[in-house]
Order: sequence, then C-alpha cells, then structure tokens
Amino acid sequence: MRHAKKPGPVDAIVVGLGATGATAAKVLSEAGLKVVGFDRGPWLSAKDHYSGDELKFVNRNYLWPDPNLFPRTLRHDEVSEAERFPFSPTPQLVGGGTNHWAGWVPRPRESDFLQRSLHGDLDGASLADWPIRYEHLEPYLTKVEWEFGISGIAGADKYEPFRSKGYPSAPLRPTKFGKRFYDACNTMGVNGFPIPHAMVTHDHKGRDPFNTTSFWNQYGDPSTARSNTLTTFIPEAVATGNFELRSESFVREVTVGKDGRATGVVYVDPDGVEVVQEAKVVVLGLGAIESARLMLMSTSPQFPDGLGNSSGMVGKNATFHEYVFAVGLFDQEIDDPLHGWAGNYISGGTFEFYETDEDRGHIGGCLISASQTCHPINWVFPGRPSWGQALKDADRSYFNFAMKIGAILHDMPVESNRVDLDPTVKDAWGLPVARITHKPHVNDVAMSKWQVDKNAEILQVAGASKTVPVYLDRMTGNTCHQHGTARMGTDPTTTVLNEWCQSHDVENLFIVDGSCFPSSTGVNPTLTMMANAWRVSEYITDVWSKGRDEHITVA
Amino acid sequence: MTLKADWEIVGSPVDPDSDERLFFADHEWDTIEAATARIIPTDHDPGAREARVVVFLDRYLSGIDYIFAAADGSGFLKLTGKFADAWRARMSDMQRTYREGIRTLDSLAQEQFDRQFVALSESEQDTVLEALSGSVKPGPVTLGTSEAVQTFLQGVFDQGLPFFEALCLHTRQGFYCDPVYGGNRNRVDWDVIGFPGPTTLKDTMDGTYNTTEFFHVGGYDWNELVPHLGKVG
Repeated sequence: MRHAKKPGPVDAIVVGLGATGATAAKVLSEAGLKVVGFDRGPWLSAKDHYSGDELKFVNRNYLWPDPNLFPRTLRHDEVSEAERFPFSPTPQLVGGGTNHWAGWVPRPRESDFLQRSLHGDLDGASLADWPIRYEHLEPYLTKVEWEFGISGIAGADKYEPFRSKGYPSAPLRPTKFGKRFYDACNTMGVNGFPIPHAMVTHDHKGRDPFNTTSFWNQYGDPSTARSNTLTTFIPEAVATGNFELRSESFVREVTVGKDGRATGVVYVDPDGVEVVQEAKVVVLGLGAIESARLMLMSTSPQFPDGLGNSSGMVGKNATFHEYVFAVGLFDQEIDDPLHGWAGNYISGGTFEFYETDEDRGHIGGCLISASQTCHPINWVFPGRPSWGQALKDADRSYFNFAMKIGAILHDMPVESNRVDLDPTVKDAWGLPVARITHKPHVNDVAMSKWQVDKNAEILQVAGASKTVPVYLDRMTGNTCHQHGTARMGTDPTTTVLNEWCQSHDVENLFIVDGSCFPSSTGVNPTLTMMANAWRVSEYITDVWSKGRDEHITVA
Repeated sequence: MTLKADWEIVGSPVDPDSDERLFFADHEWDTIEAATARIIPTDHDPGAREARVVVFLDRYLSGIDYIFAAADGSGFLKLTGKFADAWRARMSDMQRTYREGIRTLDSLAQEQFDRQFVALSESEQDTVLEALSGSVKPGPVTLGTSEAVQTFLQGVFDQGLPFFEALCLHTRQGFYCDPVYGGNRNRVDWDVIGFPGPTTLKDTMDGTYNTTEFFHVGGYDWNELVPHLGKVG
C-alpha cells in the first residue's frame, strides 16, 4: 500500500481510531465531510482474528502495545531517571481500547463537572470545574448509548442524574458472583444495580451477539455482542463513502502554516515512507498520553514548545484512574462454586460510595463493581503461592471459589503529574516516547484505602473467608484510562482547549479524547469521552465548518 | 510489507507427545522437565510433567514460530516487519535466560548435593529452587486472614523476568494454556481446577462454546435483586 507522495487534501483528518476517533470519523463523514483516519495499529477483522486464547490476549500482547516497539517510561518523582514501563497500555489498533475492554459504561454525575465549586482549593491538587455541565452532555450520552449499543436498566441506579431515554438492550442474566454482590448489598442497604455494559444482548442494529464464551475482559470478541468501534462506528463511517482508513500508519507530526493554523499531518506508512496529508481540520483522538506526545513532538517556529502549547499546560494534570480492589476467597467446604471466570466481566455495582462524605477524611468517591476473576493462567489472586504443592492446591481450591469487588479510583488532578517526552528513550520509529511522571495525591491514597476496605467489607458480608485488599501505592495505569493532558477551560493561559475541545492557539485543531477532562471523574470514562467526541464533532460540522463560532456560558 | 492484519497462518498445532527438540539440548530438556514438575507437582491430579509443559517451553523458546496461535487454533501466525524483529530480539534474550538458568540450577545442585539437578530427589530439588528463588518454598493458603498488596497491571508479560520468575510464569502458562501451544495436554489441567474450557479455539469463535450454564442458575427477578426498581415503579 504505497500512496503518492502527497495525496490530495481532504476536509478532515482524524488521528487515532479508538473510542473517540472512530466516533469523530463517523459523525464527520456522515455529515458529508471527506475524512481520512489514521491508526498506527492494524485494522483487524473481529470475526477472523478474535477467539478465547488466554495466552495470546492476556500474556503475549497480541492487542496490547509491544513494549519494545512502543515503549513508555515512568518515574515517581522529579529527579529520578524514568524507567521503561508499559504504563496504561491501551491497545493501539483500529477500535483501540474498545477491542479489549470489559465495557463498563456508567454515566458521569453532575458533581463530576463541578469539583472546584464543590471543594474549593485542595492542597497540592489543581481542582477545576468543567466548562460544560452534565446537561450539555446528556443528549450525547443518549446518542452513544443507542448508536453504540449499551445494555442496562434505566432507573436501577438510585443515584443516576436525569436521562432522556432508557437503554436499548437488557442486561445479561446475573452471574453467581453478581448474585452474591446483590444479596450482600441488600443486606447492607446498598443500592446494587447492573452496571451499564458496552454490549448488546439482542439483535440491536442488526448485531448478532452470539458470544457467550466468558472470554471477555482483555479478549477481542469475534461476535458483535461487544460494542467495539471496530465493528460499529468504523464500518458506519466507511459506508458513507466519505471515509478512508489508513491503518498501520504512524502520524509523527501535526504541521502548521505560517498563519499558525494546522495544515495536516506527516505520517509514516507501513513501508516506512513519510507522507504528507493536508486537511482543513485536524482531530486528535489518540488517548491522553499519545495526543499529548504528538502535540509535544509537533514543534514549529510558531510553537517551539509543542503544538497548541502556549499555556505550557500540554501533558500536565494527567489522571489515570488506578483500579483498586479486594479479592474474596470462599471456603469450598461450606460454599457453592462462584465460577468467577464466567460472565462478561462485570455484574452488579453501586454508586452508594461515590459522592463526598466529609466523615471519610477525604473528598470524592468511586463507582464500585463486582467483576470476573478471569481465566486459569491469570486468575486474580494476588499473593497466590508462586510454586509447589501450595500453588497447585490454591488453584484447585479457589479458582471456582473467588470473587472480587473493585473501584475506579477518582484520582485528583495534580499539575506536576504529567506526560512529556522522554529525553533518551525512543520508539521503533526513532521518536521520543511518552514519559509519565506521577505521584499520587494524598487524597488518592486515602480514597483507595477507604474504598478497598469497603470492597472487602461487602465481600465479607457475601461470605468470603479470606480477603486480599489491593491498595494504591504507585500508579501503574492498570485501567488504561487517561485524562487531563489538554484540559478544556475558558482561560487560554491555564488551559489548552476551549469548551468545544478546540485548541485555544490553533483554531482548526480539536482533541476529542480524554485529554480534555479537567478532572478524572470516578466513573469509567469512555462513555463520557465518546459523548463528548460526538458533541465536538457535531460542533465541527454544524458550526465551525460554516465559519461561525459559539460559546457556552455556565453559571 | 505484510500488515499485521494480514499475517499468514502457518504450521500446525504443537503435538504434546512429540519428543523432538527445537531448542533444548537433551540435558536441558530433562532439567526443565524436572524443574517444572516441582513448580506444579504431580499428585492425584496431573502436574506440569503430564501437561507436557516442557514441550510448550521448547517450542516457545525456539524462535518466533509459536508466539501467537491463529485465532481458530489451526496453526500459528507468521510475524512480519518490526513485530518479528521485536520478538526475535526478545526471544534471544529469553533463550539466554534459560540457558544460563539451567546452568545455575546445576551449579547450585553441585554445591549443595554434589550432583546435577536432574539426579536429585524431589525434596533436594526443592531445596535448590529455594536457593534459586532466594526464599522459602511457599506454604499453603490460610483462610480467616487478610493480606494486603499493591496494584499491578493486568496480564503478566515475561519480558525481562529473571529465570526463576520466568520459569514459574511459563510453567503456569504451559499448564493452563490452550493445547494448541503444546501444553495442557488433552485439556486435563483445566479439569484439575474445574474450568470447563473450550474443545478448540474455533469453538469460541462461532457460538459453539457456551458458558451461560455457569452464570446464576435458576430464576431471578431484577425487582428483587435491585429493590430500588420497585420503588420507582
């Protein structure tokens, strides 16, 4: 696949075709814009390439980035040299993280948009309100739930804010460990409910959700049960005739003209040839780490510190949502099997511990959920004996007698927690890799402790004979959630994007991934990110491309 | 260049009963077979020896022909380009880790018992593995306790692991993997722990393999599981 040195210009370029880039590609191309989309990873065929192979998907990085080709580095303070570490290894391929995800898609809460108003200054953190509110996102949350396909029960979550429509698909039947969770919640007076799931359970939009294998979290789904942009929004974009997809093509720079506007991108095609693609508008959806990296790599006389970085804030205030949890082991002498590997990863969850309760001694809270303990090689039992008879006995006694409950840590934004370019480590294309500098805020550590202890308490009520709490010490990026590296806000001196996720500096550059989040929220971010990407894409087609601009004023 | 999306399927599933050696020399084969049998021992159920973990490891370590099974388990994917280069370099490191590790096992065995590792009794081999690992052999899991740990990434990758850690991880992988990779012979190791795994990988692609019977059994009512639903009417 060798393009002419300079293919013709198009209306829009979308870089990164995961959850948000694919949403942009769909909305833009359906509105009639000519769009070229790039992904550095492959354009796989779900039905031909995906199956229940634990070794391949969970241990050998078939979907996760190869750490030698796409390294990242990590350090926990300002002075240490960063070490290679596969931090937040979101799969890089068409469909991105929606290929491998379990697919928790809860809605954000009204409080998530108001952290600064609610809590004022938090020492050592940089709390900020969003320049939009829940009400601005609500219509798009509904669009994504229906167009992408989400299962759930409207009204089951006692704490959910206003929704304009129910869910298009019903939840799966509960798992055994899910039933335990509901029973324990009801004993404790907690509102357990089926976590909204990025999957359909009937033929919504012609999909055939035949996958009942329980090979779910971290695996690709060969059926169309899972809501994956690879099998939904990408083919819908292609069907418009307005969208061309160039996979295994690595965008290394967003270029700007003398007037400071973006002119297009430079990418390396699969044969290693550099190609220039021009467009009227450039949309980034690489994820908050790689979008920041691409902006920082895109230096020019106008932007010596990186594209759109006159504020110096690109890469800063990065948040990552560590997954913290507790595992419960049950006594097979007195209990029935829980079959913790069965089900599509998540089952019941609750928002009971989400909002701030000052009595806990910290602000904020998390969504928690009961979830799979997964498959034989990697089933989740931290501290399992590593070898010998004890190992064999542990697997034999507890593989079917374990469950876990975990939280998505609502980590606080801290300016010095950031993504920048590693001074020495290069990727397989010779380009500087993303370096993560991160130290948890004290609120993060306190929240992790409180939430995990609550997880363990629920497990004990559910009948667990032993619990293994897994607390936050240092971030590993184990959720693949990334946010905050190009915050949106009204002040161009302290934020990177405006309320339409349009660069304050470069008016034809938009970022539709989690980079724009001023705060991390305590929910899995993809639904919010996709709804926001839809909102921004609609602004591009309906307002920006007509030569107008609009602004949102919030109270 | 062949794109990753177009990787060819070549070869065939690994025969667990094969005695052919693609990587290990005979002594290395025997040493690894004995060592993995101490990681997951044989008791009233099969252990690593019966699972043919040694075959799994020999094929894995032989190069880049056995890294990713084809989705349907009919053979293996032929890696290309930068992916092939990255895996070749990685496997070269892992080959060195094993060759040196096996020599270390023998030298520890010589120091302590004046014989090679394979010639030792099982308890003597355990003593050598304790020396290699730097800690005592793990004891049984106890109920009624709670032991805290710190967060970690999902899915353990083996790159850069020291020999003992790699050996433990690979033994586990060879014991519980899909049999296409040469271990978990006849899927008996899934039986050991009560995992009703698929007969073939292909069965996980077309709806043949169905696990819903392992979900909650019997009737359920969302209004009972989620009493709040009844309250909102």
